[in-house]
Amino acid sequence: MKTSLATTNALALVLALTATNVASAEEVTAWRLFVSDHAEPKVTVVDAVDGTTLETLPIKAPASLYRSDSGRTVFAVQGSAGTVTALSSGIAFEDHGDHGDIDIEAAKLLGVEITGEKPSHFVEHDGQFAAFFDGEGIARIFSERDVLKGPADVREVKSSAPHHGVVIPFGNYDIVSEPNPDDSSKPPAGVRILDHDGKQIGDGVECVGLHGEAASGNLVALGGCADGILIARSGSDAPVVEPLSFTEGLPDGRVSTLIGGRGLQYFLGNYGTDRIVLIDPTAHSAAFRLIDLPTRRVHFAVDPIRAKFAYVFTEDGQLHQVDVVRGAITNSIKLTEPYSMDGHWSDPRPRVAVAGHRIIVTDPLKSALHFVDAESFQKAGELAVEGKPSNIVSVGGSGETHED
Amino acid sequence: MSHMMKLAATVSVLTLAQAAFSAASAENLKVVASFSIIADFAKNVGGNRVDITTLVGPNGDAHVYEPKPADAAAVGEADIVLVNGLQFEGFLQRLVEASGTKAPIVELTKGGEVLPNAEEEHHHDHDEAAEGEHEHEHEHAAGEDHDHEGESHEHADAHGHHHHGEFDPHAWQSVHNAEVYVKNIADAFCAADAAGCDTYKANAEAYGEQLETLETEIEATIAEIPEDKRTIITSHDAFGYFQHEYGLKFLAPEGISTESEASAADVAALITQVKEDKAAAIFVENITNPRLIEQIANETGLKVGGTLYSDALSDESGPAATYIDMMRHNLTTIKGAVLGS
Repeated sequence: MKTSLATTNALALVLALTATNVASAEEVTAWRLFVSDHAEPKVTVVDAVDGTTLETLPIKAPASLYRSDSGRTVFAVQGSAGTVTALSSGIAFEDHGDHGDIDIEAAKLLGVEITGEKPSHFVEHDGQFAAFFDGEGIARIFSERDVLKGPADVREVKSSAPHHGVVIPFGNYDIVSEPNPDDSSKPPAGVRILDHDGKQIGDGVECVGLHGEAASGNLVALGGCADGILIARSGSDAPVVEPLSFTEGLPDGRVSTLIGGRGLQYFLGNYGTDRIVLIDPTAHSAAFRLIDLPTRRVHFAVDPIRAKFAYVFTEDGQLHQVDVVRGAITNSIKLTEPYSMDGHWSDPRPRVAVAGHRIIVTDPLKSALHFVDAESFQKAGELAVEGKPSNIVSVGGSGETHED
Repeated sequence: MSHMMKLAATVSVLTLAQAAFSAASAENLKVVASFSIIADFAKNVGGNRVDITTLVGPNGDAHVYEPKPADAAAVGEADIVLVNGLQFEGFLQRLVEASGTKAPIVELTKGGEVLPNAEEEHHHDHDEAAEGEHEHEHEHAAGEDHDHEGESHEHADAHGHHHHGEFDPHAWQSVHNAEVYVKNIADAFCAADAAGCDTYKANAEAYGEQLETLETEIEATIAEIPEDKRTIITSHDAFGYFQHEYGLKFLAPEGISTESEASAADVAALITQVKEDKAAAIFVENITNPRLIEQIANETGLKVGGTLYSDALSDESGPAATYIDMMRHNLTTIKGAVLGS
């Protein structure tokens, strides 16, 4: 791997003796990027601080990647191999109240695979992961603790038929997509709430076209409905799922892809191909604010550290900084050659992640990662990665290590 | 008051940026209040010279509040931001950062008498990584938008949670402290709007007299409750100041924040303590889920005595739409349940 990070070394492992703790406590910053390949069954682990490849982990098929809330695990969902593979990120944090400790070891395969037909939506909620297998209409649910200790205990939640669906674990209940009753190959028709015995609680909630989900704070949004989205929240016992209808006057559109704000509670969704929509799930009016993009959207991500920003990559090769408070694009930077959204949905296209002070964009056709400084929104170098780096997640942060 | 301490002037979550803004005389001060009780104080002091935006509204729980982009916009446009401090508003720092505000952030507990947090919570405070994406591959189904790459299932992490500090933040449950809040608000309004200072001071003085009356009522009512009937159960430790000032004993399964749920062991220990201490009454709170209290009531044979308003007012139609109404309602509810038990 060729490394040409221009300024990343400035980030190089920060070792600073803290004035308030024991002399042996050192503050360490570590960020790792997990990058899947569009064509090859592998996950490349990159040290985002010094720009080196740490590991190349073999999996069974090209994968979509997900990181857990804690960052301790990463999951590779391999649709064509019918497998969800669990990885240890090798980075763990432990809370000590006045400080946090960071433990760093090698990333590795955990030897846990969840298998089934056509795994698709992968969700974490309430400390539980739910991998939905479209070919069976079943979600397999497990916890991070179980994954880390070895072969996982798996609970199954069955929907009424195989379909492209989702299950969201919600305490003692699950929110389960309901297949289209006329043709289960079509998008789902809504959701039901089931207890862990499979008994339905209350009436189902209609959402014809259900697709896409995200969480922000204590709320979960489900997209795709013809007239808006659904918002799920904790109730006095079972979760409550309610529609959030499109604001009057919005042009025709649909939100079928969602991400959730961190630090600020909002959702960001697609709205047609060349708009995104900012959603305030608690607003009584103007819950949906549209933001026009210069060209079609390829991918987007929220900034978990600088809460007012999200980032959108468009097919003209630009990364845009979106101010979610103002509801406007505030910066743009050209990073890659154009990546047309014409062609197959699964053609290799860039993806965005945020690691500390860096925004990273994969460039599968140039075998590279592009780094952008999140503060200045200027280019901060690039890194060659063999193959077609595609999906990317980041794990890391700062914490103390203790020699004693 | 051996375990009470004067809040040092240096205890401050945020830098008080004393921005040199000048409110145009023709325009009202734009005030953001972090939660409903502070908004009520501000309304009493500011009268019709201020426009108040409340972040955590009636019956809202500031412990777990998730600020919205609209909140950041309101803070960004504010002349003054009034907050409790003592890390009650765990969301405040990220909200202020997102807002870019230059307005002073006024901590109303400054100068008040504050109690230590007996059970300081321990939370991790490290940077979290960017969120994983919700991308997957599957067969193309007709009519579906297969642009899955952006889908994500994201969650609040350490940034989204409330870290309590070394002090109990529920200082308004002491009317003495409420008077400090009011004085601090008047001072802040005077600094921002000198032309209205006389009005603010007069309003604060008039309201202060109402608070003194309230305090007298509380003391008289508590005096009617027998010493052996002064142990009360609530959902979370929000009444430490009330206990300290007025002589009731409050027990709760949850600590000073509602963020962390009580463990089974906590609940079991509380039930044992309730039986040993012969608790006189148990109450739900307006900001918390009543299930745990109902469970404890069932297991201890206590009847739920009503709803106490701890960290938020009721809406306008409720029994605790103002701070004074809230304190009176709590007092009446406690007295009714205890003396009826």
